[in-house]
Order: sequence, then C-alpha cells, then structure tokens
Amino acid sequence: MALKKIAARSPMWLLLILISIFMLFPIIVAILGSFKTNLELTTGATVFPEQWQLSNYVTAWTQANFSSYTFNSVFVAVFATIGTLLVSSMAAYAVDRASFRGKKLLIFLQSFTLFISIGAVVLRPQFDLMVTLGLHRSLWAVIIILISAHATAFFMVIGFFRSIPKDLDEAALIDGCNFYSIFWRIILPLLRPALGVVALFTFRGAWNEYILPLVFSLSRPDLQTLPVGLANLRFGAGAAVENQLMLAGACISILPLLLVYVFANRSFMQVTAGSVKG
Amino acid sequence: MRRNRLGAYLFSFPSFFLTVALGIYPIAWALRYMFYDYQGYGEMRFVGLGNFARIMRDAEFWQSVVNTFIYAGGKLILTLPLSLILAVILNRKLRGRNAFRAIFFLPTIFSASVMSIVFYIVFNSYNGILNQYLMKLHLVSGPVDWLGASKAMLTIVIIAVWGAIGNYMLLFLAGLQGIPEEIYEAASLDGVNPAQRLWYITIPMLGPVLQMIVMLALTTSLKGYESIMVLTEGGPFGKTEVMYLYLYKLFFPLTTTGTAVQNIGYGSAVGFTTAVIVGLITWAYFWMSKKLSSIY
Repeated sequence: MALKKIAARSPMWLLLILISIFMLFPIIVAILGSFKTNLELTTGATVFPEQWQLSNYVTAWTQANFSSYTFNSVFVAVFATIGTLLVSSMAAYAVDRASFRGKKLLIFLQSFTLFISIGAVVLRPQFDLMVTLGLHRSLWAVIIILISAHATAFFMVIGFFRSIPKDLDEAALIDGCNFYSIFWRIILPLLRPALGVVALFTFRGAWNEYILPLVFSLSRPDLQTLPVGLANLRFGAGAAVENQLMLAGACISILPLLLVYVFANRSFMQVTAGSVKG
Repeated sequence: MRRNRLGAYLFSFPSFFLTVALGIYPIAWALRYMFYDYQGYGEMRFVGLGNFARIMRDAEFWQSVVNTFIYAGGKLILTLPLSLILAVILNRKLRGRNAFRAIFFLPTIFSASVMSIVFYIVFNSYNGILNQYLMKLHLVSGPVDWLGASKAMLTIVIIAVWGAIGNYMLLFLAGLQGIPEEIYEAASLDGVNPAQRLWYITIPMLGPVLQMIVMLALTTSLKGYESIMVLTEGGPFGKTEVMYLYLYKLFFPLTTTGTAVQNIGYGSAVGFTTAVIVGLITWAYFWMSKKLSSIY
C-alpha cells in the first residue's frame, strides 16, 4: 500500500529533484569553480577542485580591482537603500495620513513611472542633468537616480501603512504629538519590520543594478561596481580570459546575498508574494 | 490632521521632485527629441516625422521586434506552466516543502548580469563547463555551439527561465491561498484526477490573479535585455537582438558589436515606438483575456 503511494508520487519527486538540480547547477558551478585553476575550469570536467585555490580570491581582490568594485557596490547599495526608505516612507505617510492638494497627482505619477518604460532613452537626459549638477563624475549620480525610482517601495510602504490603525495617530495627537513626531515616534517604530523587508528589496535591487552604473562609469573605470567590473572581465584584461577570476568575482557578488538568503529567505519571498495580494 | 498641510507638502516634496526630475522629465525630453535629427553633438535639425519614416524602413529594428517576440514567447511558454505546476505541488503538505520553495526562488535574488557571466562560462562553446561534462559523459561527440547562431536564442531563453520560475511560482502560491480547500475535497470525492483538478478547478479559480501574473510576465519579458547584453550583445548576427537592447545601442556604445550608430533623435523615436509596442501588446492581452473570461 505504502509502496503503491510512493510509486504514484514518484513523477512528482522526479520533477522536484530535476528542477532543483537545474536551479542549483550554475550556483554550485560558480562556487566550486571559483576555487579551481583556469586550466582545470576550461578542460578538467571535474566537479570538485583538485586543489582548493584560495589564491583566486586574493588575486581578484588585490590585482583585479575587486576591492574597489566591492567598495563601490556597498556604497551605492547602502545609500540608495537609506534614501529610498526615507523618501518613500515620508511620501507614503503624507499620502496615507494627510490630505493635501496634489496627493492624487503624486499617486498617479508613481504608478505612471511604474508602467511606462522607454528603456535606456531616459539615461541620456538623466546623465545630462547630472552633468548640470556636476555629479556625473561621482557615484552619487547613480544613487540619486536609484532613489528617484522609488515607486515600488512607495506602494509597498503604503500597503504597510494601511495596517496601522488611524486611531493611534489621533490618540498620539491628543497626547501632544504633532504631524512630525507621530511619524518619528509612532509610525516608524511600528513599521520597522515592514521597512526591513522594503530595505532588503531595495538593497538587492541596487546591489544587482548593472546598466545604470555601467553608463556612469564609461569614462571613469574607478567608479565601476561589482556587476560592471565583472562583466568587463569577459573580454580578458590581457591575452587570456581568466575564468577563475570571473567566478571568484561572481561569488564575491552573490555570496553576501546568499548568506542573507539562508537566514531570511522568507522575508525575500514576502516581497514577491505581497505584490500579488496588495 | 488637516492642519498639517505644510507637513504633508514637506514630506511628499522629495518624492515629487525626484520623480518629476528623473522620471517624468526624461520622458518629456524624449518626446521632444524624437522629432529631431541629433547625434548628441553638433547641429540639431528638426525632421518632423522623419525618424518614424526611418523606423518603418529599419530592418534591424523590426528584426529585433521579432526576436523580442520569440524571446518573450519562449520564456512565457516554459516559465508559466512549470511555475504553476511547482506551485500546486508545493502548496500541499509535503516533506521538504520549504526547502524546495527556497531552492526554486534562489535564482531570483541574484543579479542577472552577474549570473550571465557564470552562464557565459557554463555555455561557452569551446571550453564551457556544460560541454566538458556532456562530452565526458559521452552524451555528445563534439562541443555544442550553445552561443552560436542557431542555439543562442534557446540558451538565452533557458537562462531567462532559470531566473524567472521562482518568482512566478511564488506569485502562483500566493494566488492559490485564495482557493478554498473544500472545493478540492468535494472534487476528490467525485474521483477527479490531478490533471483534471488543475485544469477544471485550479486554473479557473485563480481567475483574475492568473490574469495579473500573465500580464506581469508578459511585460517583464518584453522589457528584459540585461543578460542578453552581457552574454551575446545581441549577436551572433543579430540573432538575439531584442528591442530594448537595440535601443540601448542607439544611445551608448557596446564593447564589441558596433553596427548601430549613436543617434539621440532617432533613438528617442525608437524608444517611443517600443513603449507603444509593449503598451499595445499589454492592451491586446487585457482585451483578449476579458473576452475569454466573459465566455466562461
């Protein structure tokens, strides 16, 4: 009886296992490959490295500029996340808890930018604007543009605001709080776990961003972030393409996210699942 | 809290300002420049609808539109059924359910461009890791040209599916929460098999959620070009060139292929046209799914 049940369910298990292999294959290849020599990578057909080459990471970090790429990536992702959280939660507070002229316009503008995409075209006027501000030779340009695209975060935060009862504001108002102190003292502390989810989402987006930092580092290679610096390696610095350095670099980019994911994969998933309900 | 109008303005100002300056202004900018012939430097010449006439004759652009449909179609046909089936399986009480969910969702957290570098090493035709394994296991006699003219699009689609399944699986899982358990219990009493259950109960019951997920998948796949840019840059011979990549090349240089010449005026017109194409397809899908659901 039990055997029959297992037999009936085996196609399902087969599918689950096959898809799992498909999903994990490139990630495992990247992690194990980052410890192999270039020769072993290109001809070896091995699974595990013959000798674990920790030196790949040392070379990537010291000679292939990955220390600078990593610094730039951290810089961009941290400030873009802080900025996005501030701008979107402040705007969401105003929209959800106050009435003012232009409220509907703001909601319309946010949904408009969410749906209309003219692709790379916008990068050019954005670049010109940054030239005017004298920021086109710094990563702040990338950070500011990333913050400006806060529509998704804005709608996520608004969704969370709805879960905080308005009676709470009124009680605080009677107790002597004003518009600003209600935000800082009541709303923000209550929203902390929710904002954590938004922060995770924003940080991941900024950390993974490729095209924006690519365009702003075209004339300034020292501003390259991890995805940009890594992608440039595929043409080889000298004569040979060094696969082992590319994989070590890829791991430097994916391991921090992987680590957070192991502990907080539910928070990652919450963002996606929430977008269909709200 | 009507008294705090000033506070509301102060709080919404950064959002307003950034959105208008960096979200809306660039669109207005493109709407102006699409009527000009302008290379980015030198003289600016008003050409009226000249750029659009040029788009009509631009075979490379229309090839990229066709390629976008192949790419998006292939991605959707593989991703949506697979992720729905996985969601249905993982919606049941099952040993290791959370582990499987976490594994399937994992690819979505990584940068498309970074993973494309890894895939570049995996699918490389001459000494790629996949070819090494396949040859060692004697599954193929010689290296397969995964990124060559005949297979590049297939490879690109496989990579896109890899990155997308987890996302749509999760969206379907969220949608499945809305279907009451009793319906399935009643169906199992009537002796309904799993395939019938999926086709006659789950899919109709998902209704508007399914519609939304398909639309999201459709618009996302029409816009994707990051991993193609890293892997093939649209090559070989423009076989993997999609609309938004072609557009990018009209504004910024790429490292190897340099067929398109930067032209801001023409690029703006192409940007407008691609946005209209995406809008039309979305609208057509919306219209069709509405018609279909009224038949039911």
